[in-house]
Order: sequence, then structure tokens, then C-alpha cells
Amino acid sequence: MSTLVLEIGCEELPASACWEAEAQLPLLCRRHLGVEPAELYIGPRRLALLVRDLPDRSGDEDRRGPPERIAFDEQGKPTNAAEGFARGLGLGVEQLERRDGYVWARVEGQPLTASLPDRFGEIVHGLVFSKSMRWDESGLRFARPIRWLCVKVDDRTVETTVGRLESGGFSYGHRFTNGVVAIPEAEAYAAVLRDAGVEPEAPERRRAIVEALDRLGEWRDPQRVLDEVVHMVEQPLVLEGSYHDRFLELPLEVVETVMQSHQRYFPLGPGRFAFVANGGEPEVVVSGNEAVLEGRLEDAAFSYGRDVEIGIEAMASRLPEITFHARAGSLADKAARLAELCRLLGGGEATVEAARLAKADQTSTMVHEFPELEGLMGGVYARLAGSPEAVAAAIAEHYRPDAAGGPLPETAGGRVLAAADKLDNLTVAFALDERPTGSRDPFGLRRAAIGLCRLADEGGLAVDVRSLVERDRGLLVEQGADVTSDPSDVEDFVLERLEGLLDVPVEVVRAARAGEVSDLGAIARLARALAAALASDAFEHAYVAHDRAGRLAGRSEEAAASFDPRLAVEPAELALVEALTAVAPRIGAAVEAGAYEEALEAAAELGPPVDRFFDEVLVMAEDSAVRANRLRLLLDVRDAAGQLGDLSQIPR
Amino acid sequence: MSTARRTAPTYQEMLATLAGYWADYGCVIMQPHHTEVGAGTFNPATFLRCLGPEPWKAAYVEPSIRPSDGRYGENPYRFQKFWQYQVVLKPPPDDVLDVYFDSLRALGIDPLEHDVRLVEDDWEGPTLGAWGLGWEVWIDGMEVTQFTYFQQLGGLELDLVTAEITYGLERLAMYLQGRRSAFDLVWGPGVTWGEIFREAERQWSIYNFDEADVDLLTRHFEDHERECRRLLERGLPLPAYDQVLKCSHAFNVLDARGAISVTERAAYIARVRALARRVALAHVERESSAVEPEGAE
Repeated sequence: MSTLVLEIGCEELPASACWEAEAQLPLLCRRHLGVEPAELYIGPRRLALLVRDLPDRSGDEDRRGPPERIAFDEQGKPTNAAEGFARGLGLGVEQLERRDGYVWARVEGQPLTASLPDRFGEIVHGLVFSKSMRWDESGLRFARPIRWLCVKVDDRTVETTVGRLESGGFSYGHRFTNGVVAIPEAEAYAAVLRDAGVEPEAPERRRAIVEALDRLGEWRDPQRVLDEVVHMVEQPLVLEGSYHDRFLELPLEVVETVMQSHQRYFPLGPGRFAFVANGGEPEVVVSGNEAVLEGRLEDAAFSYGRDVEIGIEAMASRLPEITFHARAGSLADKAARLAELCRLLGGGEATVEAARLAKADQTSTMVHEFPELEGLMGGVYARLAGSPEAVAAAIAEHYRPDAAGGPLPETAGGRVLAAADKLDNLTVAFALDERPTGSRDPFGLRRAAIGLCRLADEGGLAVDVRSLVERDRGLLVEQGADVTSDPSDVEDFVLERLEGLLDVPVEVVRAARAGEVSDLGAIARLARALAAALASDAFEHAYVAHDRAGRLAGRSEEAAASFDPRLAVEPAELALVEALTAVAPRIGAAVEAGAYEEALEAAAELGPPVDRFFDEVLVMAEDSAVRANRLRLLLDVRDAAGQLGDLSQIPR
Repeated sequence: MSTARRTAPTYQEMLATLAGYWADYGCVIMQPHHTEVGAGTFNPATFLRCLGPEPWKAAYVEPSIRPSDGRYGENPYRFQKFWQYQVVLKPPPDDVLDVYFDSLRALGIDPLEHDVRLVEDDWEGPTLGAWGLGWEVWIDGMEVTQFTYFQQLGGLELDLVTAEITYGLERLAMYLQGRRSAFDLVWGPGVTWGEIFREAERQWSIYNFDEADVDLLTRHFEDHERECRRLLERGLPLPAYDQVLKCSHAFNVLDARGAISVTERAAYIARVRALARRVALAHVERESSAVEPEGAE
């Protein structure tokens, strides 16, 4: 047993490449060395793994050869195929075994040192990055150029070649404070690097950064840059800087975005920020970073000042010039559709006004420079122009939720406008036949659909997707958009997202979708109510009523157009009619009111009469009129329970 | 901090230092191209020379003309004309980063004193059909250089990768001289950047944003596009390439002038890219036939 360290020394890797390598290295280690790595060292200039208890030999392996009937002729003599197979593995044909209709060869494990060079090459070549490059004539691809390779097994250096590079027994320390360092033995790898100004373990760098930030006080990371920062330094040096008071007049979000989006600084409190350096003299480094931040804030203040001077009304007046989609008109057209959708979604005057101004900030300098501030800037500019707070807030919040678990708009108007915006994005894409396919979703429509579901479900907004999409399509046509496809499948697209979103079996959501309920949030609540009741007697009864009635009558084409009470004579039949007459309107009213448990209780009352009916009444009566009438009765029972959804979709 | 910059170089000394450093390294010292370009990459010493299999090392200063970046001389960080120092190394040596860091030392920036970092930045030049991976180089948080390993130019996969090093001279000078405004930079003895260029910034911003003749420029774009095609048909990729640059500049002014809608914008860029691609192909073909060994027939 020995200890192995493999290090791929690189020019500065992007954080995303570090994450990809971190995920792949354990798999590659297992595949090519047959063991788990004991340690992973991931950072901007090195990807390394350490294996303890590396076996001295690789395990014996059974290789499958040609089928027996091809490997041996009718006399049982080995054919060319068998001899070729054995020869290829350096064996004699007499060493082959016959098993399960095939011939097999046992290949002895190799001393690992002999195959390590190849195996290491496989690991390096096996790393796949979403963006990779070439840098020399070897044509090797990697996230950034590889500049050295270090392979040690205990105190022995393993020689191997990858691309133009030959491995050695040395590594490099911190880029500026340290140079080349010898790795005397595999186990010493991390300690040698720590002595050379590098913390090779990413979790350790993160811990050091967080601890130092905590010491500085209340730090914030709204754009979540910490994960990236961990892979931007090899020796984190957390420093604090300050900026001039005059920038406190800028909206806080602007200041924080300037700090985070490009510089990856952490806001500390008014006038203070923290950042993570990789070295240098603290005084010099702080002063330089302060100058950079003030420069960027100055630039933002300049853009902001220009925007404020122009004002949101003038920005809105430019919307007709800005294309929303080449085949679906301008942002002014979009604003008009949003206003109408907001009305249909129950938005008031303020929300409709917010719709008119929602896209105005797309013409602002600030959004041009900081796209992540869209919406928010519109809200700021609306407020400065004297718009009521409800209008400004709705504009500011209308891109929410912008991430899987992101917050919903806090105001009612914000929720309405957010839903309208998402619905319109979906309708436009579907109407222009630009539906997302596979992993291609350039307009973020899956996110939009999930956002819409959450606005309806968690936000309590009534959203009748079908009718809203239909109206939106009409508006697009009126505006002269190049509608080439029927967008009514937006509803299915949205409801499919709902299936994934709710913590409820998929079949239950499908059952709920098939009922009388068309409002998105109501479907979610119905699905939850059904899921919660799955084990109850009420559900069992309702299910039986729906299922038994539907199973027999649903297949028949003989059912009468309407039920004729005069043809009902049997006591069990009359009892069912009586139950149905009493219960059906109660189910309907309860569903209408969103009281799904009550509706389920009511539907459950149909269970016993349905059972009795099947026990005592012959549905397929000889008299065709009676038969048709009984089938109709069963269909009516099914439809009454079916107001709760297509319960038959739920497996029992 | 000011003590660290006792001997801060003037702008012109900086240019001379970089030229001297890269000349000593073995680069051909070129001069700016004679037509407006948005970046040193457009200079044929980069775009055309970095195609094909021939090694090439060059360094030169290039004025960047970016009409929409003008701010009437009112913003100390944004200009419609500024300077880049451009270095191309084809193929890059294995120690290319160390060679670059030494150039910073030559300018008086000691990486032990400062926080010098390479921050991921993937570069794409849509009008040139070009892309590469690399970094922006930060000194104490300030971006002073763009470092790119070209992977594609003119839509062609490159046989030999080039490392392109583009120094942002204003940023570097502001850093070295400890100024918060480019207008206060000392260009040469007793003369500031602002004294020489501020009025030009004002006038050119007025031209780019308010005065440029849209019809004339639209016509120019089309004329140069046609001329480019014609020259390509005559087997003259070098003059044809200048027509690409003139198209690109006309587009940039039209864009600053607000005369191009979002949709038209993509179409204009695609037209310039198509020309750049044809020129690149024609140039590579010509060069490969020119270097064929004698008697190859």
C-alpha cells in the first residue's frame, strides 16, 4: 500500500472550471485507480488529489472474448478468433475459460507503477469542461493551459507525459511570493504548499475567508460571490476598505451591485466594504481597491444622474423604438399587452400604470451597464418622478421570482405585474413557435413558468392560464405580430412545471388538472388536498364512486342524453338518485369556494349508494331505455365526483 | 501610496517602456493602423498575422475609437478615443505569463507590493468572428490588461494559438500616477492628457451622438461592403480588409448615433462578420499558396 498525489498545475482556472473538476475528479479516480481519493485540492492554479492505501497492483480482471460457438469449431478445436483473442492479451489459447456461452480470459493485475503513467493521462484527459481551449501544438484541451504535472507515489516520482508536458516531482508555490518547490513525498504535498504560501484546500480557504469577514462585522453577499472568491485566491487575505459618503446618496442596491457584480466585494455597512486579495502589502492594496471602487461608483453616479435627468416618462416614450422581439413588436407593444393582462388578473389602476412604465428602464444607462438592476432602477426612477409607491414597488418587483427559491414580490401589484410579464413571455415565445426544447431555453421560459406557478400558489394570485393566453394571443394578432403557432399549450407547459414544483405525487397533480378547476393556484391547493386525503375513508369512497361509475358507463356509448327520473324504479337506484341530487350541488359549491376537503366529504357520500347500486341493480337491463337511463345516471355520478378532478389517474 | 510612485512615469514614458520591453523580448514594433478601429485586435498586425501557421511576435500602440463610449469629456473614465498597447505572441511561450508580469515590473509595478490577479474573462469579437479564453489582469482590483488565448479568428479555427496582451493604458497610467481622472494624467513634461484631448472628446461626442450624418454613413457602409466584395473577387484580401474596418467604424458611429434598432444591430454585425470571414479565408489561402516550397507544383 502506498500514497499517491497527482497534481495538474494550471494557469489561473475560472471558478466554474474548479467546480467542474471538483465534481469529476473523485469519479475519475475511482474509474482509473479503483480507489476513492482521500483528499481533493482544488484551486485556481492546481487540481490535485491524494490517494492513501493505493494498492501495489491493479486487481485481476476477467475479459470476455468471442462467443463459444465462434471460438471453437465443431470438433472443439480453437478457431482463429479464439487464438487472436488470447494472443492480444499475451496468453495462450489453452488459458481461455468457457462460461455462459463465451470464452473468457483472466488478465492478471499489473504493478500499478507500470500503468500509472497511462492512468494519470486518462484522468487528465477525462476532465471535461463546459469551456475549454487549446494553447500549444499538442492540441490538448483544458479549461486553461496546464503548465506542470506532479506525480509522486510515496517518495518516488512517476514519469508521464500529457500533451507536451512531462511530469516531475515538483510543484509551484504562490505565484509571486514563492517559486518552484520540491515535493519530497506524496504525503507531504499539502504541508509543502502551505509553506510556499498556498492553501491548497478550498474548504479551508472558505473557512478562513468567512472567519475574517465575520471579524469585520455584518457582511453581506446578495449576489453570492463567495463561492467564486474561494477559487480566485490561493492565500486569502481579507481586507477592509471605505468609500466616500457622497455615494450613500445612490440607491443602496446600485452601490452593492457596483461592489459585487464586477469587483466581488462584500458590502459591510454604510461606507465600508470588504474584499479578498491574494497578497500584496495591505495598505497599498486597500488604497488601490478603494480608488477602483470610487471610480466605479463615480461612473455609476454619472449614469444615474443622467437617467434621473431624463426621467422615467421620457424613457417610456422611447419604448416604441426598442424591439422586444423581432417578430413581436416593440417594448411599447409589450407594455400595452401587460396593461391588459394586469386588468384581467385583477390589478387596479396602480398596477396598470406600473405596466405602462415597467419596461421604461430598458432604455436607461444604468440598466445598460448593470442588467441585473432591471426593474429595480425602474422603481427608483418612478419614485423620483412622483409615482405612487404602489406603482414604483410593482415595477421594482416585477422580475421576481428570478431564481428557483427567490423571493416573490411583496406587493399585490408586484405579483400581478410579475405574473403578467411571465405569461406574456411564454405566450410570445409559443405563438412565434420558439418553444424551449431539451436543454435549449434561451428565454428562460421554464423559470418563467415556475415563477408563475409560485405566484399563483404561494402568492395567492388567481391565474386562469388558458383564458389569459388566449387574450394575449389576440392582442399579439391585433398588434400585427407574426403569430405562427397556437400558443394554447402554454397551459400544459405551465402545469407540467407545477407537477415538479409541488411536493405531491405527480399523478395527483394530473388528477387535479383534469377537474373543473382552471385557476393555477386552486389546482395546486386541490392537488394538496387530494394528496393529504389519500389514506382517508372519504377519499376511498369518493374514489370508488368515481371509479366504479366511470369504469362501466364511461366505455358505453348507449347512455341517454339526460336522466329521466320516471324510468328509475329500483330502491337502490332511487337511493343513488337521491344521494346524487343532494350531493352534486354541494360538491360544486365547495369546489367553487376552494373548500376541497368539504367537497371530498360530500363526494364520499356517493360511495355507499354506488356500491349498493352495483350490488342490487342490473345496469345492463334488457329494456334499452332503462339501460340507457342507468348508464346516464352513472355518468352523472362520475361527473359529480369528477368536479374534484380525474381521480382515476391516481393509482390505487 | 504616493511614495511608491515617486518615479511615476509619464504617459509617453510608459509607451516607450513597453515598446522597449517588448522590442528586447524580440517583438516587431509596429505602428497604429491608419483607419479607425475599436481595438488593437483589428489592426492587420493582429487579425491577419494571427491566422495561418507562421510564427509572429509584434507589439504596438493602437488608438481605440469607440464612438458610443464618449461622454463629452465630462466623465473621467469614459472616452470615445483612448489607447491600448497591444502585444501578440504566436505561438505563446510556456512562460508567457511570467514574461507579461516582467513587463509590469518594467513599468514599476512590483507584484509583491500589489495584489496582481488573473480574473476569468472570455473574450468575443462578434464583428470579427473571433473568440478566445483568458483573463482580465487586476492590480489591486483595477483591470489593467486583457489577456486572451485566441481560439478562432474570422470564424476560422486557428492552427497556431496566439496570446494577445492588451494593456489599458489610461487605467495603467492612472494607477501609476495615482490620479483619479484620466484628464489629470501627465502625458509628457508639463502637459496633461486632458489638455491635449478633452476638447476633442467634447467635439467628437457631439459628432457621434448628435451630428453624424446617418444617410451618409449608411451609404458608406454599403459602399465599403460592396468594395470589399469586389476586392476579394480581384484577389486583394489586404485592401479588402481595410474595407471591413471602414464598415465596422461606420456601424459604430451609426450605433452611437442611435440610428440602429436592436434587430438591425444584429444584422449589421452579421454583415461585418461575413466580410471578415471571407477576408480571413482569402488571406489564408493566398498565404499558403505563397509559401509553398519551390518546385512543389
